[in-house]
Amino acid sequence: MTTPTPRVASRWSRFRGSYLLYSFKRDLVAQLSLVVFIALVAMAVLAPWLAPMDPYDLAQIDIMSSELPPFWVAGSDPTYLMGTDAQGRDLLSTILYGARVSLIIGFGAVALQALLGVSFGLLAGYLGGRMDAFLMRLADIQLSFSTLMVAIVVGAVVKAAFGGATFSAYAVPLLVLIIGLAEWPQYARTVRASVLAERSKEYVDAARVMGFTSRRIMFRHILPNTLSPIFVISTVQVANAIISEAALSFLGLGMPETHPSLGSLIKSGFDYLQSGSWWITLIPGLVLVVLVLVINLLGDWLRDVLNPRLYKG
Amino acid sequence: MIAFLIKRLFHALLVMFVISIIAFAIQDNLGDPIQQMVGQSVPESEREALREQLGLNDPFVVQYLRFAGNALQLDFGYSYIFNEPTTEVIARHLPATLELVFATSLLIVLFSVPIGVYSAIRPRAWLSRLFMGVSIIGISIPVFLTAIMLIQLFAIGVSWSPFPADTGWGAWLNDLVSTEGGMPAYGRGRPVPVFGTWATNFASLEGLTYLVLPAISLASIMLPLFIRLIRAEMLEVLQSEYVKFARAKGIPLRRIYFIHALKNTMLPVITMGGVQIGTLVAYTILTETVFQWPGMGLMFLNAIQRSDVPLIITYLMIVGLIFVITNTLVDLIYGLVNPTVKLTGKPA
Amino acid sequence: MTLKKTLLASVIGAAMTTAVLPSVASAETTLRMAYDADPVSLDIHEQLSGGILQLSHMTFDPLVRWTQDLSFEPRLATGWEQVDDTTMRMTLREGVEFHSGNPFTAKDVVWTVERLKRSPDFKALFEPVESVTAIDDTTIEITTREPYPLLLNLATYIFPMDSAFYSGTDADGDPKDEIVKNGNSFASAHLSGTGPFTVVEHQKGTRMEFERFDGYWDDESPGNVDHIVHTPISENATRVAALLSGDVDFIAPVPPNDLERVREDDDVQLVTMSGTRIIIFHMNQARVEAFQDPRVRQAFVYAINQEGIADRLMKGFATPAAQFSPKGYAGHVESLEPRYDLEKAKQLMEEAGYAEGFEISMMAPNNRYVNDAKIAQAVAAMLARINVTVDLKTLPKAQYWGEFDDRAADMMMIGWHADTEDSANFHEYLTACPDADSGAGQYNASNYCNPALDKLVAEANLEVDLEKRAEMLQQVEQTLHDEAAVVPLHWQDLAWASADNVMIEPILNVMNFPYLGDLVIKQE
Repeated sequence: MTTPTPRVASRWSRFRGSYLLYSFKRDLVAQLSLVVFIALVAMAVLAPWLAPMDPYDLAQIDIMSSELPPFWVAGSDPTYLMGTDAQGRDLLSTILYGARVSLIIGFGAVALQALLGVSFGLLAGYLGGRMDAFLMRLADIQLSFSTLMVAIVVGAVVKAAFGGATFSAYAVPLLVLIIGLAEWPQYARTVRASVLAERSKEYVDAARVMGFTSRRIMFRHILPNTLSPIFVISTVQVANAIISEAALSFLGLGMPETHPSLGSLIKSGFDYLQSGSWWITLIPGLVLVVLVLVINLLGDWLRDVLNPRLYKG
Repeated sequence: MIAFLIKRLFHALLVMFVISIIAFAIQDNLGDPIQQMVGQSVPESEREALREQLGLNDPFVVQYLRFAGNALQLDFGYSYIFNEPTTEVIARHLPATLELVFATSLLIVLFSVPIGVYSAIRPRAWLSRLFMGVSIIGISIPVFLTAIMLIQLFAIGVSWSPFPADTGWGAWLNDLVSTEGGMPAYGRGRPVPVFGTWATNFASLEGLTYLVLPAISLASIMLPLFIRLIRAEMLEVLQSEYVKFARAKGIPLRRIYFIHALKNTMLPVITMGGVQIGTLVAYTILTETVFQWPGMGLMFLNAIQRSDVPLIITYLMIVGLIFVITNTLVDLIYGLVNPTVKLTGKPA
Repeated sequence: MTLKKTLLASVIGAAMTTAVLPSVASAETTLRMAYDADPVSLDIHEQLSGGILQLSHMTFDPLVRWTQDLSFEPRLATGWEQVDDTTMRMTLREGVEFHSGNPFTAKDVVWTVERLKRSPDFKALFEPVESVTAIDDTTIEITTREPYPLLLNLATYIFPMDSAFYSGTDADGDPKDEIVKNGNSFASAHLSGTGPFTVVEHQKGTRMEFERFDGYWDDESPGNVDHIVHTPISENATRVAALLSGDVDFIAPVPPNDLERVREDDDVQLVTMSGTRIIIFHMNQARVEAFQDPRVRQAFVYAINQEGIADRLMKGFATPAAQFSPKGYAGHVESLEPRYDLEKAKQLMEEAGYAEGFEISMMAPNNRYVNDAKIAQAVAAMLARINVTVDLKTLPKAQYWGEFDDRAADMMMIGWHADTEDSANFHEYLTACPDADSGAGQYNASNYCNPALDKLVAEANLEVDLEKRAEMLQQVEQTLHDEAAVVPLHWQDLAWASADNVMIEPILNVMNFPYLGDLVIKQE
């Protein structure tokens, strides 16, 4: 088709001169958040190489070294920097692997939400009529139930339908599916609103007059113009998806304790909070909060900068 | 108006129909309720007889029609674990949840409006920045984690001594960062009976202490949302032409802020509030789990774990009903406050 | 953060100091207690469960009952003698009255046993009993089909019911003695026994109130409790918190995670006993060929650190086991001890030709026994040390038993309490050659089959000489141990806790039937 090289170069230079970069350079909170976020993602991705232990390898676990506290508390063992959980798993390693699971589910679920939401939003906005009425009605009902409630109910239903054991075996794709299904309306509404706004614009009419197909108009012309709200929503949604996953896991409808995400790690430690082993719950809890917080801060900054038209309500 | 209500009623029925079908379709996978009812050494033949007697061997359609027929008479069957009508079980657990939601709403209303308005009026003040900073942290902490931290701090207690304890200031600082614990963090205590299944935590100081931590954790997720929303709406209103005009006319600022601007701010806030009541109900499941608050959320989770199908179905139907009713109410109120909105049942 | 916290602390502090303290009970002695559940029904023949038996001991009296050292104590039966191999004659207590005012006679016992033989839950237990006949008002004769050495054990399950009270039809025209599972029968809501307490009020799942029965026959009972309020609290931590805060005086069970907290509290006392419920893992020989080799089974037993589980996961709240029978049971073999030895386990695996290990599936419930899922995880980790890869699934009990009946995994966990408090019961249900017709080995998910042992147990069940019988049962235990038929893990301990002035220790026993009629609350 076209020669990509000059376009990329021009994009890069456009980015360098952009308001986005300009405001980023001036915003300390955004910079810090990005650094922390990249660090956390890097640690999660590199978990197999960074972690002192493989928490999924049962042969490395010794029940006799269970519930050891982190290094700054009396009675700790230097082998286990952050202490151990009730089974004797190294907590640091488990957290690294757990963060990885949480991030995979978070990004996976958002990708699915975006795919569903953007397609439905485009369809509803561009085609209008019955399709529009049906999809938006569905979105309305689902939103009125609140996304977390939908996720919990869908989670309970899916878990019941597959049986607890199968659910545990396929927990990651299933959780992506559950959270993806529960939260697509956010995207659909925003995309639909943008499409409605774009559709009446001249360039779309021009394209139609030139005889382009609806599909081509939607994907090549309208979609690129709705990207900035999608981008802003996505940041917030990743944070939401990670929280939703943690909540589901905490309720026992998510990752099994043998393959813990941050949420199920918090849950498994909760039983031991009263007996004094606070670290099993609170350290992964802190990691979860920091992860979600930096994503939210980045999302806030993006929204202020891009200032897109977001669907309210 | 009437058409709108009928349309909503139709929605409600549709939602409930879907819920009941789904719940019915999964009941086989939820486990065998017979196992919960008999002792371990009971032979299979006895179990089979009991299954037959309870109608668990009938075809799906027969079981569903029997259920639907009864449901229309508000009879959702017997809970397997409580051995009494599910509606009675729900009626017993409902007050606890409603009281928790009420206390939380109270906290939200009391704090969100002044804080939101303040940080809109003085967006650059350090206190506003602090409120905004705390609120984004609040949003980022999952509600169950807030609950766990509150338990650690105020129910179990934390004794830290990062400062030298033998100096006066060190001991003082240590005291400051340490907490006593001792707050009730489990259950409802002994609520005072009012009438029927309703016993209240609001009638005694002791009852209120049980309410403190759960209500704070539930509010921790909603309060920041509302503060941010009120602030954003208020900021927008303050930019509007008529506020500038009113200011130019010399109307007292206080009057502009609290009479004219606030009124216009509350409109979207009410809509959002209605939607958030649904979210609040979802969050009660988490809060009630952590605090073992004996409400509907905890009951629902127990019902899932113990495969009490009639109770699960009843819960879903009733929560569906609550959602539909609150949404309808919100739309009605919205219509009253802002007469330009037409209640036709089309998405606003 | 700090601001938020100190603000909170001061608000909470103010609330705490002014909080109303619970008022002290009046002259009448009241026991406020909290078990984890309340009985499902007032009909003591509706379900064979701990809760129902606890209720039975509060509101009825058995013919005989267990003492703390597992011997028999006369209650409504004052004496008994073996007339011949299959007949026992029992003398009943005179001058005993039911709550309704009806006198207690031999015909009530006959009526009760007949009803037991109709109850779905109890009929299997009473299978050996041919008939019960009233000789006169205070004498009965129990005839068994064959010589039956456990007749007195069985008599602990006979809580005579008020036959006149339960006869006739109720308002709906249903017979009053009907046994209805999960329904509304007369007996599920009304009760008349001879026991120390009457039921005043029962709000299911929330509250149950008892009043001491004025006409209680046992004048020698030291019990001084006039009134009992039972509030079931299913959540472990809540129950403990209720005791520690003084909201209740007596709780059971005390969860392992909270034992230390309860023990350290000065105002409450903790009583623990090694229980009789054994937790085991079955190794399914029908599903895994390797399990047919006794060396592999032994290797598994050697690889699993029972003491580690009891010590770390159960916080010392379990007694590590190497056999089924707990101490005090006829079949208990004193010399058998847990065999944890990793090197030995590896060596056995090598000898059997499985040095490289193999893969198995494992299932366990996750809400049935104390720490069940965590124990299964720990066992899976231990087996990884002998190169056995475990695919572990844990399920809620409602789904687990269906899978168990299907023998859906290679290793499955089960806990067992012998309803007869007798060793033979373990073998009959857990390790006897499975036979669908006779019901033998109904829970034998090992598919272990040793006909010689079946024969020995069958003979023991006809052996009226109890000493000889014990020897036979010990031989069974020894063989099961040597052949590593299953992996025994531990006996779950029992724990109760009460306020200091509530003297629970003398009334407790390993069956977990607190004899609350004899409970003494010291007055301050």
